[in-house]
Amino acid sequence: MFRTAILRSAAAASRTAMRPSAAAGRFAIAPASRTGSFVPKTVAWQAVRCYASGSSLEKTEVYERIKQLLSGFDKVNDPSNITESAHFANDLGLDSLDTVEVVMAIEEEFSIEIPDKDADTIHSVEKAVEYIVSQPDAN
Amino acid sequence: MAALQAYRHLMRAARVAFEGDARVLDGARQSIRQGFRDKASLPASDPSIQSSIQHAEEVASFLKANLVQGKREGSKYKLRIHEMTERGDNDSIKLGNQNIKVDGVKCCSER
Repeated sequence: MFRTAILRSAAAASRTAMRPSAAAGRFAIAPASRTGSFVPKTVAWQAVRCYASGSSLEKTEVYERIKQLLSGFDKVNDPSNITESAHFANDLGLDSLDTVEVVMAIEEEFSIEIPDKDADTIHSVEKAVEYIVSQPDAN
Repeated sequence: MAALQAYRHLMRAARVAFEGDARVLDGARQSIRQGFRDKASLPASDPSIQSSIQHAEEVASFLKANLVQGKREGSKYKLRIHEMTERGDNDSIKLGNQNIKVDGVKCCSER
Protein backbone atom coordinates (compact mmCIF):
# COMPACT_ATOMS: atom_id res chain seq x y z
CA MET A 1 0.00 0.00 0.00
CA PHE A 2 2.79 2.34 0.96
CA ARG A 3 4.65 1.43 -2.19
CA THR A 4 1.71 2.17 -4.45
CA ALA A 5 1.17 5.51 -2.74
CA ILE A 6 4.79 6.49 -3.32
CA LEU A 7 4.60 5.21 -6.85
CA ARG A 8 1.52 7.25 -7.59
CA SER A 9 2.87 10.49 -6.16
CA ALA A 10 6.22 10.02 -7.87
CA ALA A 11 4.56 9.32 -11.17
CA ALA A 12 2.35 12.34 -10.80
CA ALA A 13 5.31 14.57 -10.04
CA SER A 14 7.62 13.45 -12.79
CA ARG A 15 5.08 12.37 -15.43
CA THR A 16 7.34 9.53 -16.42
CA ALA A 17 5.26 6.65 -17.65
CA MET A 18 7.59 3.63 -17.23
CA ARG A 19 8.87 3.29 -13.72
CA PRO A 20 9.65 -0.20 -12.44
CA SER A 21 7.86 -0.76 -9.16
CA ALA A 22 10.88 -2.46 -7.62
CA ALA A 23 12.99 0.63 -8.09
CA ALA A 24 10.26 2.79 -6.64
CA GLY A 25 9.98 0.42 -3.70
CA ARG A 26 13.67 0.65 -2.96
CA PHE A 27 13.37 4.37 -3.06
CA ALA A 28 10.49 4.42 -0.65
CA ILE A 29 12.58 6.24 1.99
CA ALA A 30 12.17 9.51 0.14
CA PRO A 31 9.20 11.35 1.59
CA ALA A 32 6.43 12.11 -0.85
CA SER A 33 6.47 15.82 -0.04
CA ARG A 34 9.96 16.24 -1.47
CA THR A 35 9.29 14.61 -4.81
CA GLY A 36 8.83 17.88 -6.66
CA SER A 37 12.39 19.05 -6.33
CA PHE A 38 13.81 15.58 -6.17
CA VAL A 39 12.76 14.26 -9.56
CA PRO A 40 15.87 14.85 -11.69
CA LYS A 41 18.06 13.23 -9.05
CA THR A 42 15.79 10.21 -8.96
CA VAL A 43 16.06 9.71 -12.68
CA ALA A 44 19.85 9.90 -12.64
CA TRP A 45 20.07 7.51 -9.73
CA GLN A 46 17.78 5.07 -11.47
CA ALA A 47 19.91 5.02 -14.57
CA VAL A 48 22.92 4.04 -12.49
CA ARG A 49 21.00 1.28 -10.78
CA CYS A 50 19.76 -0.23 -14.01
CA TYR A 51 23.29 -0.33 -15.32
CA ALA A 52 24.54 -2.31 -12.36
CA SER A 53 21.60 -4.58 -11.72
CA GLY A 54 22.11 -6.81 -14.74
CA SER A 55 24.40 -9.48 -13.33
CA SER A 56 23.63 -10.03 -9.68
CA LEU A 57 21.56 -13.05 -8.71
CA GLU A 58 18.60 -13.05 -6.37
CA LYS A 59 18.76 -15.28 -3.34
CA THR A 60 15.49 -17.02 -4.13
CA GLU A 61 16.56 -17.75 -7.68
CA VAL A 62 19.85 -19.22 -6.50
CA TYR A 63 17.99 -21.38 -4.00
CA GLU A 64 15.54 -22.60 -6.63
CA ARG A 65 18.36 -23.62 -8.95
CA ILE A 66 20.26 -25.42 -6.20
CA LYS A 67 17.06 -27.17 -5.17
CA GLN A 68 16.47 -28.26 -8.74
CA LEU A 69 20.02 -29.57 -8.94
CA LEU A 70 19.77 -31.46 -5.66
CA SER A 71 16.46 -33.07 -6.54
CA GLY A 72 18.13 -34.52 -9.61
CA PHE A 73 20.90 -36.03 -7.50
CA ASP A 74 20.04 -39.65 -6.78
CA LYS A 75 21.97 -39.85 -3.50
CA VAL A 76 19.66 -37.38 -1.76
CA ASN A 77 17.55 -39.47 0.63
CA ASP A 78 14.26 -37.65 0.10
CA PRO A 79 13.66 -34.67 -2.20
CA SER A 80 11.19 -33.26 0.31
CA ASN A 81 14.08 -32.80 2.75
CA ILE A 82 15.60 -30.12 0.54
CA THR A 83 14.96 -26.86 2.35
CA GLU A 84 16.77 -23.57 2.56
CA SER A 85 18.57 -24.60 5.73
CA ALA A 86 19.19 -28.27 4.89
CA HIS A 87 22.60 -29.65 5.81
CA PHE A 88 24.09 -31.93 3.15
CA ALA A 89 25.21 -34.63 5.59
CA ASN A 90 22.71 -34.34 8.45
CA ASP A 91 19.50 -33.67 6.51
CA LEU A 92 20.07 -35.03 3.04
CA GLY A 93 22.08 -38.11 3.96
CA LEU A 94 25.06 -37.29 1.75
CA ASP A 95 28.58 -38.36 2.73
CA SER A 96 31.69 -36.24 2.28
CA LEU A 97 32.40 -37.52 -1.25
CA ASP A 98 28.82 -36.71 -2.29
CA THR A 99 29.20 -33.25 -0.82
CA VAL A 100 32.26 -32.66 -3.00
CA GLU A 101 30.22 -33.71 -6.02
CA VAL A 102 27.33 -31.45 -5.10
CA VAL A 103 29.67 -28.48 -4.73
CA MET A 104 31.15 -29.27 -8.13
CA ALA A 105 27.72 -29.52 -9.68
CA ILE A 106 26.91 -26.12 -8.17
CA GLU A 107 30.09 -24.78 -9.76
CA GLU A 108 28.94 -26.02 -13.13
CA GLU A 109 25.42 -24.71 -12.69
CA PHE A 110 26.58 -21.17 -11.96
CA SER A 111 29.67 -21.34 -14.20
CA ILE A 112 32.18 -20.38 -11.56
CA GLU A 113 35.14 -22.13 -9.98
CA ILE A 114 35.09 -22.36 -6.21
CA PRO A 115 38.60 -22.51 -4.72
CA ASP A 116 39.40 -25.47 -2.45
CA LYS A 117 39.40 -23.55 0.78
CA ASP A 118 35.95 -22.11 0.12
CA ALA A 119 34.58 -25.37 -1.23
CA ASP A 120 35.56 -27.12 2.00
CA THR A 121 33.36 -24.78 4.01
CA ILE A 122 30.17 -25.35 2.02
CA HIS A 123 28.23 -27.99 3.92
CA SER A 124 24.64 -26.82 3.62
CA VAL A 125 22.20 -25.33 1.14
CA GLU A 126 22.26 -22.10 3.12
CA LYS A 127 26.04 -21.77 2.86
CA ALA A 128 25.95 -22.53 -0.85
CA VAL A 129 23.30 -19.89 -1.54
CA GLU A 130 25.24 -17.38 0.54
CA TYR A 131 28.44 -18.09 -1.36
CA ILE A 132 26.84 -17.87 -4.81
CA VAL A 133 25.10 -14.60 -4.00
CA SER A 134 28.43 -13.14 -2.87
CA GLN A 135 30.08 -14.07 -6.18
CA PRO A 136 29.71 -11.33 -8.80
CA ASP A 137 30.70 -13.72 -11.60
CA ALA A 138 27.99 -16.28 -10.91
CA ASN A 139 25.24 -16.47 -13.46
CA MET B 1 40.63 -33.99 4.16
CA ALA B 2 43.51 -34.62 1.80
CA ALA B 3 41.49 -37.41 0.24
CA LEU B 4 38.55 -35.10 -0.38
CA GLN B 5 40.83 -32.61 -2.05
CA ALA B 6 42.33 -35.33 -4.20
CA TYR B 7 38.79 -36.38 -5.10
CA ARG B 8 37.93 -32.85 -6.10
CA HIS B 9 41.11 -32.42 -8.11
CA LEU B 10 40.51 -35.66 -9.92
CA MET B 11 36.91 -34.79 -10.73
CA ARG B 12 38.01 -31.39 -12.00
CA ALA B 13 40.76 -32.94 -14.08
CA ALA B 14 38.29 -35.35 -15.64
CA ARG B 15 36.04 -32.43 -16.47
CA VAL B 16 38.91 -30.64 -18.20
CA ALA B 17 40.24 -33.70 -20.00
CA PHE B 18 36.96 -35.13 -21.28
CA GLU B 19 35.05 -31.94 -21.93
CA GLY B 20 32.25 -32.37 -24.43
CA ASP B 21 32.54 -36.15 -24.41
CA ALA B 22 29.66 -37.12 -22.15
CA ARG B 23 30.12 -40.87 -22.43
CA VAL B 24 33.80 -40.93 -21.47
CA LEU B 25 33.34 -38.21 -18.85
CA ASP B 26 30.60 -40.23 -17.24
CA GLY B 27 32.74 -43.35 -17.29
CA ALA B 28 35.68 -41.49 -15.78
CA ARG B 29 33.49 -40.10 -13.01
CA GLN B 30 32.09 -43.52 -12.32
CA SER B 31 35.51 -45.07 -12.00
CA ILE B 32 36.85 -42.23 -9.83
CA ARG B 33 33.84 -42.64 -7.58
CA GLN B 34 34.35 -46.39 -7.45
CA GLY B 35 38.04 -46.05 -6.66
CA PHE B 36 37.37 -43.75 -3.75
CA ARG B 37 34.40 -45.75 -2.45
CA ASP B 38 36.51 -48.91 -2.40
CA LYS B 39 38.99 -47.30 -0.06
CA ALA B 40 36.51 -45.21 1.92
CA SER B 41 36.26 -47.72 4.74
CA LEU B 42 39.99 -48.08 5.36
CA PRO B 43 41.05 -47.10 8.88
CA ALA B 44 42.77 -43.72 9.12
CA SER B 45 46.02 -45.38 10.20
CA ASP B 46 46.30 -47.56 7.11
CA PRO B 47 49.71 -47.00 5.48
CA SER B 48 48.35 -47.41 1.94
CA ILE B 49 46.22 -44.27 2.25
CA GLN B 50 49.03 -41.80 1.65
CA SER B 51 50.23 -43.57 -1.46
CA SER B 52 46.66 -43.89 -2.77
CA ILE B 53 46.09 -40.19 -2.34
CA GLN B 54 49.35 -39.44 -4.08
CA HIS B 55 48.34 -41.77 -6.89
CA ALA B 56 45.04 -39.91 -7.24
CA GLU B 57 46.81 -36.54 -7.38
CA GLU B 58 49.21 -37.80 -10.01
CA VAL B 59 46.42 -39.19 -12.14
CA ALA B 60 44.70 -35.82 -11.85
CA SER B 61 47.73 -33.92 -13.07
CA PHE B 62 48.26 -36.45 -15.85
CA LEU B 63 44.69 -36.10 -17.06
CA LYS B 64 45.01 -32.35 -17.09
CA ALA B 65 48.45 -32.01 -18.65
CA ASN B 66 49.15 -35.07 -20.76
CA LEU B 67 45.89 -36.07 -22.31
CA VAL B 68 44.50 -34.48 -25.44
CA GLN B 69 41.21 -35.18 -27.11
CA GLY B 70 41.21 -35.81 -30.82
CA LYS B 71 38.33 -35.65 -33.21
CA ARG B 72 38.47 -37.17 -36.65
CA GLU B 73 37.81 -34.78 -39.47
CA GLY B 74 38.10 -36.50 -42.80
CA SER B 75 41.51 -38.16 -42.82
CA LYS B 76 42.96 -36.00 -40.06
CA TYR B 77 42.50 -35.81 -36.36
CA LYS B 78 41.85 -32.42 -34.88
CA LEU B 79 43.35 -32.13 -31.40
CA ARG B 80 41.89 -30.06 -28.64
CA ILE B 81 44.98 -28.69 -26.93
CA HIS B 82 43.86 -26.57 -24.01
CA GLU B 83 45.65 -24.16 -21.72
CA MET B 84 46.60 -26.84 -19.21
CA THR B 85 48.15 -29.20 -21.75
CA GLU B 86 51.84 -29.62 -21.07
CA ARG B 87 54.05 -28.19 -23.78
CA GLY B 88 57.53 -29.58 -24.03
CA ASP B 89 60.13 -26.86 -24.23
CA ASN B 90 62.28 -28.90 -26.66
CA ASP B 91 65.42 -27.85 -24.87
CA SER B 92 67.57 -30.60 -26.35
CA ILE B 93 67.17 -29.24 -29.87
CA LYS B 94 69.18 -26.16 -28.89
CA LEU B 95 72.23 -28.31 -28.27
CA GLY B 96 72.83 -28.52 -32.01
CA ASN B 97 75.23 -31.15 -33.28
CA GLN B 98 76.64 -32.21 -29.97
CA ASN B 99 76.59 -35.87 -29.21
CA ILE B 100 73.93 -36.55 -26.68
CA LYS B 101 74.21 -39.69 -24.66
CA VAL B 102 71.00 -41.28 -23.60
CA ASP B 103 71.38 -43.93 -20.92
CA GLY B 104 75.08 -44.23 -21.69
CA VAL B 105 74.65 -44.88 -25.42
CA LYS B 106 74.71 -42.41 -28.25
CA CYS B 107 71.48 -41.17 -29.72
CA CYS B 108 69.79 -43.21 -32.42
CA SER B 109 71.31 -41.98 -35.71
CA GLU B 110 74.84 -41.77 -34.38
CA ARG B 111 75.38 -45.37 -33.52
